Amino acid sequence: MNLLTVAAKNAGRNKGRTFWTMFGASFAIILFVLLRTVLAMWNLGVEAAAKDRIATRHKVSFILPLPKRYAEDIRGVPGVKNVTFANWFGAKEPNHPNEFFANLAVDSKTFFDVLDEMALEPGVKDKWLEDRKGAIVGDVIAKKMGWKVGDRVTLSGTIYPGDWQFNITGIYTATRRSIDRSEFIFHWDYLNESLPERRRDQIGWIQARIDDPSKSGDITKAIDKMFDERDVQTASMSEKAMNLSSMAMLSAILAALNVVSVVILFVLTLILGNTIAMGVRERTNEYGVLRAIGFRPVHIAIFILGEAATVGLMAGLLGLALAYPIVELGMGRFLEENMGGFFPYFRIDKLTMVTAVGLAMVLSLVASVIPAWRASKLPVTDALRRIA
Amino acid sequence: MAEVEKAGEEAAPNSTEGHPHRAGATAARAGTTAIIELRDVGKTFFRGKEPVEVLTHLNLDVPDGSFEALMGPSGSGKSTLLNIIAGLDQPTSGTARVAGHDLTKMNDSQLAGFRSKTMGFIFQAYNLLPVLTALENVELPLLLVSGLSSADRKKRAETALRIVGLDDRMGHYPRQLSGGQEQRVTIARAIVNDPTIIVADEPTGDLDRKSADDILTLLERLNKEFKKTILMVTHDPAAADRATVIRRINKGALE
Repeated sequence: MNLLTVAAKNAGRNKGRTFWTMFGASFAIILFVLLRTVLAMWNLGVEAAAKDRIATRHKVSFILPLPKRYAEDIRGVPGVKNVTFANWFGAKEPNHPNEFFANLAVDSKTFFDVLDEMALEPGVKDKWLEDRKGAIVGDVIAKKMGWKVGDRVTLSGTIYPGDWQFNITGIYTATRRSIDRSEFIFHWDYLNESLPERRRDQIGWIQARIDDPSKSGDITKAIDKMFDERDVQTASMSEKAMNLSSMAMLSAILAALNVVSVVILFVLTLILGNTIAMGVRERTNEYGVLRAIGFRPVHIAIFILGEAATVGLMAGLLGLALAYPIVELGMGRFLEENMGGFFPYFRIDKLTMVTAVGLAMVLSLVASVIPAWRASKLPVTDALRRIA
Repeated sequence: MAEVEKAGEEAAPNSTEGHPHRAGATAARAGTTAIIELRDVGKTFFRGKEPVEVLTHLNLDVPDGSFEALMGPSGSGKSTLLNIIAGLDQPTSGTARVAGHDLTKMNDSQLAGFRSKTMGFIFQAYNLLPVLTALENVELPLLLVSGLSSADRKKRAETALRIVGLDDRMGHYPRQLSGGQEQRVTIARAIVNDPTIIVADEPTGDLDRKSADDILTLLERLNKEFKKTILMVTHDPAAADRATVIRRINKGALE
């Protein structure tokens, strides 16, 4: 037995109140975990960006096209190993018009070499290259739409109007969590050949692999300089910067989520602080007795802080225990299947778990500082008088 | 100083040999050593801005090894006097010397150390921690003793509980004990540090006659057998009769 074990035992003293406090606090923890998971998973694409990959887009906007020949020009830049390009197709599956999934027209020969986290079974790429209307889809969207290899699929174009016929020739999986497993990928040539002359030979963005990640800054500068004197200027950046710039559009939402998570922590502190203050008030006489038999003010503070830390820890663990199945068995799967473009992977990461439990403990301690200070500073005789 | 020596009873033994706290005690009366010496003690509280004098020019000598009862009406100052002697409160004026320590010169931390080593406390409402067993409650003050192993602490707490006759209730929680048994646990907690002085504030106030008698017999035994100086505040004349000396206080002064 020591001071902290006594303090921890005290936490179970009023079981009903401790339970309801933990229950209330655990809801705040669940909300916190969900919000932090949204933020963490949103950032996953940035964190998991390949260091040896760079991207080039139109200098003005992501939605403006680049000439296809730029891809060949970039291939000649020193330090560039491989180059691919893609176009946002933006079509819908007519039977599921509300189902969002990314569909891209890509350079068939190079796309899966540059984005090698999208894994294909051996021989799939060759089959795909043989079929002009062939498409490769992610395993998540394939499962959701019930697509199998060999199926014929029709997509209705929005940017490129009309009905577009495709044959599913393969299904890719991901070797990295940041990869969206709901993409629909087909030959850029098929798109290009189907377009009127004036719209041909245009691409959305270019991605390149480089020899040395430490030189990505020099290489991107060299690329942009190369196109500086042309009609269409470019903005090249590391993949991480590219992902960040696409997220910047949603920065207000992310900032709002951050603010809400702070508000939740404040609410959590109030819940814990109220319970701790009530417990301390009720036990003032006991603290008086402890002081009388020789315990010093610091010991009283340890008793109260130890009890608060125990309640905070238990609330954190309970919140995590409740949040885990919500995310892992329900929300995570739903988001991965339905919003794979934004959340290709939605699971609680270890940092969020540790932060949630740690913060519950720390905030509980913070909430107990004033009651602990007051109780420890109360004159012994005043504390004892509350017995009568 | 008014005191009533009970006829036909001998003063409690005063063995000072080898006891550090007794070395500083001064002789207060012939043949005895005063372990508690109060000189001209006054205590004033403030009710708002209005001063309330609770103790006035009070002098007191309590011989080492005595068992004294302090009686008086409510508001007479007996609890305040007990608090000053126990090092729980400081007098506004005068000096309080207990077991060789001048309490008026000690700070809060020193007083806490003094209380843990020198004083044993018995309260009317027991005030045991409900989440701890009888043994753990008794062990509690030993957490303040440095260099004592967990096994030693347990052994000493078991001994204290054995002295108060609760060796078969060590694992029981306060809610599983009767009032008398709870008070005996409190006494075990008071003696586990081997204090020089035990202060008891209405120790039998919440007990039935039989349990009260048991507690008073136990206090007598601690006084006679273990040479503890006991100062007991009580309203109960029957309880006071068990003390060797009865003192009466009224309006802040000893009668």
